[in-house]
Amino acid sequence: MLLTLWVVFTTSFFLMRAVPGGPFDSDRKLDGEIKKNIERRYHLDEPLEMQYWRELRNYLRGDLGYPYKLQDHTVNGVIREGLPVSAALGLLALAFAMSLGLVAGITSATRRGSPADVMLMTLATIGIALPNFVVAGLAILCFVFLIPLFPAAGWGSFHQLVLPALCLGAPHAADVARITRTSMLDVFSQDHIRTARAKGLSRARVIWCHALPGALLPVVSYLGPATAYVLTGSLVIEQIFAIPGLGSHFVEAALQRDYTMALGCVMLYTVILSTMNLLVDLSYAVLDPRVELK
Amino acid sequence: MQNRVVISVVLLVLALSAVAWAVLRVQLPPADFTFVNETEPKSLDWALVTGLPEHRIIGSIFEGLTRLHPKTLAPLPGAAESWEISDDKKSYTFHLRKNARWSNGKAVTAHDFIYSLRRFLDPSTAAEYAYQAWYLKNARRYSVGAKGISAGDPVEVELNERPKGSRPFARGVVLRGKLIEKEGDDDHRVFIVEIEGRRHKYRSGDKGDLNQGIAPCKQVLLDFHEVGVRAIDDYTLEMRLADPTPYWLELLAYHALLPVNRECLETYGSPAWTQAEHIVTNGPYRVAFRRIRDRVRLVRNNYYWDPERPKLEVIDALAINSQVTVYNLFATGKVDWITDAPALVLRELIKTGAAKKEFNPQPYLGTYYYLLNTNRKPLDDVRVRRALTLALNREEITRTATGSGEVPAHSLVPLGIPGYTPERFGKEDVQEAQRLLAEAGYPNGRGFPKLEILYNTHQAHQTIAQLVRKQWEKNLGITVSTRNEEWGSYQTSIRKFVFDAARRAWIADYVDPNSHLDMMVTDGENNNTGWSNAEYDKLIAAARAETDEARRFTLFHQAERILMDEVPIVPIYYYVDKNQVRSSVRGFYRNPLDQHPLSELSRAPEMPADAR
Amino acid sequence: MTTSDRSSQAAVGMSLGKDAWRRLRKNRVAMLCLGLLIAIGFLAVITPVLPLSPPDAIDTLKQYAAPQMSPFWEEAFDFDYAATQQTKISESERIQRPYRNAGFPTLGVVSRVMVMARYRLFGKGQVAALFGRDELGRDLLARVFWGARISLIVGLVAASVSLVIGVTYGSVAGYVGGRIDNLMMRFVDVLYSVPFIFVVIFLLTILGQEDVKKWLLNKGIDRLTVFYLVVGAIYWLTMARVVRGQVISLKTEPFVEAARATGVSQAGIIARHIFPNLVGIVIVYLTLTIPRVMLFEAFLSFLGLGVEPPDVSWGLLANEGIKVITPVKVYWWLIVFPGLALGVTLYSLNFLGDGLRDALDPKLAGQRNA
Repeated sequence: MLLTLWVVFTTSFFLMRAVPGGPFDSDRKLDGEIKKNIERRYHLDEPLEMQYWRELRNYLRGDLGYPYKLQDHTVNGVIREGLPVSAALGLLALAFAMSLGLVAGITSATRRGSPADVMLMTLATIGIALPNFVVAGLAILCFVFLIPLFPAAGWGSFHQLVLPALCLGAPHAADVARITRTSMLDVFSQDHIRTARAKGLSRARVIWCHALPGALLPVVSYLGPATAYVLTGSLVIEQIFAIPGLGSHFVEAALQRDYTMALGCVMLYTVILSTMNLLVDLSYAVLDPRVELK
Repeated sequence: MQNRVVISVVLLVLALSAVAWAVLRVQLPPADFTFVNETEPKSLDWALVTGLPEHRIIGSIFEGLTRLHPKTLAPLPGAAESWEISDDKKSYTFHLRKNARWSNGKAVTAHDFIYSLRRFLDPSTAAEYAYQAWYLKNARRYSVGAKGISAGDPVEVELNERPKGSRPFARGVVLRGKLIEKEGDDDHRVFIVEIEGRRHKYRSGDKGDLNQGIAPCKQVLLDFHEVGVRAIDDYTLEMRLADPTPYWLELLAYHALLPVNRECLETYGSPAWTQAEHIVTNGPYRVAFRRIRDRVRLVRNNYYWDPERPKLEVIDALAINSQVTVYNLFATGKVDWITDAPALVLRELIKTGAAKKEFNPQPYLGTYYYLLNTNRKPLDDVRVRRALTLALNREEITRTATGSGEVPAHSLVPLGIPGYTPERFGKEDVQEAQRLLAEAGYPNGRGFPKLEILYNTHQAHQTIAQLVRKQWEKNLGITVSTRNEEWGSYQTSIRKFVFDAARRAWIADYVDPNSHLDMMVTDGENNNTGWSNAEYDKLIAAARAETDEARRFTLFHQAERILMDEVPIVPIYYYVDKNQVRSSVRGFYRNPLDQHPLSELSRAPEMPADAR
Repeated sequence: MTTSDRSSQAAVGMSLGKDAWRRLRKNRVAMLCLGLLIAIGFLAVITPVLPLSPPDAIDTLKQYAAPQMSPFWEEAFDFDYAATQQTKISESERIQRPYRNAGFPTLGVVSRVMVMARYRLFGKGQVAALFGRDELGRDLLARVFWGARISLIVGLVAASVSLVIGVTYGSVAGYVGGRIDNLMMRFVDVLYSVPFIFVVIFLLTILGQEDVKKWLLNKGIDRLTVFYLVVGAIYWLTMARVVRGQVISLKTEPFVEAARATGVSQAGIIARHIFPNLVGIVIVYLTLTIPRVMLFEAFLSFLGLGVEPPDVSWGLLANEGIKVITPVKVYWWLIVFPGLALGVTLYSLNFLGDGLRDALDPKLAGQRNA
């Protein structure tokens, strides 16, 4: 994992430096001395490898530097403020996606081919058949204006959290449903289920106690990357619902070519993703019936 | 199995409490007044910003020598209690009020203004708006660094080391002397300076050159004592201007000439001093906290000198980018003032007359126009530029793309400056446009290279760009494409002249044609077209020196005629304000600069916030 | 179960592909989706021949006109046919003129011929704005049709790029195995942990700069091509993993071992035994990748990084549509029709992908009655 982080850091660092247009390119045509003074302040006058080692040392110390565009803040500060917001939104969205997706997936797997299966899978597929800005726009129209249930936007109460979490979770709910369905069907064909069924256990017991834990494995491994995605990639939802999460920083850093911010975001994403994958591996121990817990 | 259930439940509880924690820690008591301040302010350091969102906040947390009347925009006493103006209108003496206080309780003195002004003009601050202070004598020479000094000038040498015992971010040691000679080019310049009778060699940078006896320094500038500003005593400030500038008092209220607190700045340095827990301000409000891309919360500054203002205790300035979201928030009663909404919403509101009290668009001093990059072929040909402006149907543009009754523009200076009515230039004339294009060597658009329109990502700009593209293609037979960029990159492209035609707008900083016209002078900071005309520069300079208003305006008319004859810019329409303000808000006046000081706002007591 | 399945296969002597096709045909929803997709694809291909308004023909007086059924037919197609005959192909700048004036985006040779054919067939006639009009008075019906062309192409090409890279990479890693396999998969892992949304936006921003863009255009690369390449180069990761897994399990299958034992060459094994067995899973992933790419294109349109006018894609239309959903006024047709087009297509692709997976996986097929 550390190796991955280092590789990603190094590649990103050099890629961003190689790209045309330095960070102060955006500002005005400055005179030689003035420009040099500013470059000196940001250590841009040093040779590239010196800059690299300095940056790496800072990162190891946990100092991510200053963004070039949001001038009053530090990258650490931006992440410190944005991450809890994104995490709360993302967790809720995933909780929603999990509960809906699992129910839909299990139902449709146990009643395969029935109208209920087709219906549920149709519903689930709609979640991934429309761009989420469309889903969000329609949801606002319905639940804010036609039936005034929720506030239009903002951040600071649970009430404001519901609609964005639903919209953010919708495509993931669909994914979870489809994965659950497939893996449930897979598990049904395995020997231990047939044994359990042969023992004369009730259908519900077979499904919930014997089939589900095994079928959950692919869902859990899907959750790893999905968590990283909802934490950082929720830009659309954040914009529409005016939520001060990380997604907008993430995308805007790329759009504005804010190198320090961008590097910070990339590294954050990589760390989160690696951690999540680690957690997924650990949770296999909890879920996989073949692994015994001490 | 048991274990697994327990672990799952524990994990679930943990996750939910994390959500609860994240939500609860940001819950706030509601503000007395909430408005949408468009985007996240780039900085609260007024020396570094030029945008409206920053101005709305900075204008209420800092106070300059003067401030503007919220309705008439006449200059009122601000940090200065009174002032005298000399007969030649070039010398101002300000008497500061003794009870003006910083938000840390200390007095605001004349030295604070001098410190701020020096910092503002310092080339290493790189203030974009520094030219707003160039009306002061010698300010420009100070501000352009080495270019502003020549042999024989009194100069100041700023060393890299700070004086002993100074604050961590104080200026380096400053030595004053006389410049004997400048050697070398932009990159390697050596200054020979005579200080106290001895000659020294200096070079800007970390390292000098011991062999040649060159010492390192941070920079060599004109001696700041030469700049036309000085403190007579703690509460008296004298300013000497290069030219009589009739709008100088208005400019002093503008965010480019505000004070900063020296102690705060030298203790924390830039940009850390602008953080909510550090910043020291002198305006009616102070910053309670900032949440990135969410809000800036302002609370009443108890040290402010005027007990009558501000009237509201807590104000929230939200940063929201999506126009539809902004309008949704207003429509559901969550915010009290919004500055923009989608064109189709505004159009609908006007048509149905549903929100007359809240939405009442009035023209103000802003012009929306297209820049033509005159450095590039074929736009360097004035006939081509004229053809482009003549081929536009501005009525179609305002009717289709804007929503609040914007007026098609035929001049750079907008309508509404008392005593100055701009002429109408470049009325649509497709035949003449085609003739000009043919004359320039492109009959029927044949051989004309592909032209690209640059705009920043925004629905209204996109619509206008598409219309302009279609009109130029149809009327001139040329090929036009469009390119959109995010605001930051768009500004970079404009500054670096990587565009053919680009969308731009300018809103007056003070009520005078000069605010629009002086940006088009040769190499003006906001000229951005590469256009240059000696006659035009002369007229603008003459107008600056002129004290008689009628004659000044005649000079401006002549200048604008040249400008619109040469067409480096293509005006499209004049702005109207799109403010929507909840009807319970008092003290909000429509004015020609679209400036609305927060300290004047109050709320009618009988109508609570959500009474809709 | 598995054994009985194999034996029954062998007994009938049916190939895997034929068997899967038989099973797929039984899946009525999947077949319906397949039919729909073929129809949509066909319509997209022949769009220039259809008597529709050109997608970029503006009429600002008819701004936001609502959908109308009558009159169904109008003589409004303003096309200078004579001009198309006068210009020579060599005059690349002039050749687009008549088409552009009529309101078409830049057209290739085939499309130009199709437009001319359309003019000869229908003259000035065109179908009225059945789907209503947008802010500039453009005909939404035509825009949905023209948008299909770009959206489908984007999905297909980007997915194919990912297919080529992914299959090659995955099968090499899987077949060679050992240390090299390990190294190659490590590399995929590292790439996986890079936020690809970010990479695409970053690249598109950089490549959208005027100087870079001009340079690329000189080489005949426009933003769409860049998009194909970049997206394709990113979506191959999953494909590579899946293919590798499949190859590894195939390698140990008895029939491959048997082939090896009988002295079939490496190339022969790969060509005869490995590739044919990969086709199924690859098709499945292809049908599941295309919708993702199309959604991603919509997301980029939301950011203003999508296709540039006068070109039009479904993502762009959906984005324009959602902007006119406001509490004061809802121009519903601008979101309903593009949303429907996008939704139906993505839905069909997803369902078809699922159906294919079921059909190709004999294990699942046996579970009908579970």
